[in-house]
Amino acid sequence: MPRRSDLEQKALQFIANTGEAGVLQSDLWRQLDASSREGSRISIKLENKGLIRRERELSEGRWTYRLYPKRKRASINSIIDCPCLTCLENIRCGAYGATSPNDCEKLTDWLISLTQEGSDLSGDS
Amino acid sequence: MLTFVDDEALVKVAEVLGKEEAIEIIYTLKDAGEITDDQIANKTGIRLNSVRKILYKLYDHSLVSLRRSRDQNTGWFIFHWKLQPDQLEGFIMNQKRHVLQKLDARLGYEKNHDFYYCGSPGCKRIPFEEAMELLFQCPTCSGAMMHFDNGEVVEILSQKVDQLRKELGE
Repeated sequence: MPRRSDLEQKALQFIANTGEAGVLQSDLWRQLDASSREGSRISIKLENKGLIRRERELSEGRWTYRLYPKRKRASINSIIDCPCLTCLENIRCGAYGATSPNDCEKLTDWLISLTQEGSDLSGDS
Repeated sequence: MLTFVDDEALVKVAEVLGKEEAIEIIYTLKDAGEITDDQIANKTGIRLNSVRKILYKLYDHSLVSLRRSRDQNTGWFIFHWKLQPDQLEGFIMNQKRHVLQKLDARLGYEKNHDFYYCGSPGCKRIPFEEAMELLFQCPTCSGAMMHFDNGEVVEILSQKVDQLRKELGE
């Protein structure tokens, strides 16, 4: 039988990956192969630690809880396409460096492509 | 300590650091717990030196940890690698800070300069002072350079800088 802390970690990871949709408590324990008693105890513990949010929900005629992650997921979406992220000139790039963000052609191309896309700034809010 | 491991962010970071091979290595590390580079190469079919190269790249950013032991028979070192998903958030934040610094510098430059451009793809935009010395003739294609309105570039840069500052809580 897995240790309680392992289950907690697994449960937390699973809930974190569901994002805004959350997951029904009853579905989660099936996924983790745990008993409902064990499951509800862990979810209460995670809620008390401030790591998840529980909301009561009626599912198939039974009251259960939907579990949502409380902490925002770290996302790299807002910079993933920026050339500075993977640029090999990073060490030399700076105001007084061999290359500079001021006249970097890769950065210019990226900025111009963004203006042409109509400033779709998807990322974390 | 309990941490959130976001698969999506993990895969994206791996992709940034080493494309598809890094994604495979990350998944192998995630499933295995602690694993040697040799075992990763056998499991994924990726060449050992590529595996090591990617692992060291991940290690540079603290995304994996390293334990060294000595082989009893050969006396060689064996490297045991472990994923450190709790460092992922720090890595992402550092990268955002780094990109913000570059974009902020560029925003200042764009705001303080007027640009001239011939309009041909592949040619550079030239700041006014330099364009004047060139008699408004493009140094690449020799075409006549006209004023380039960088209002949209400034606007997009301002939005990106604001967005990143918000994400970093600055």
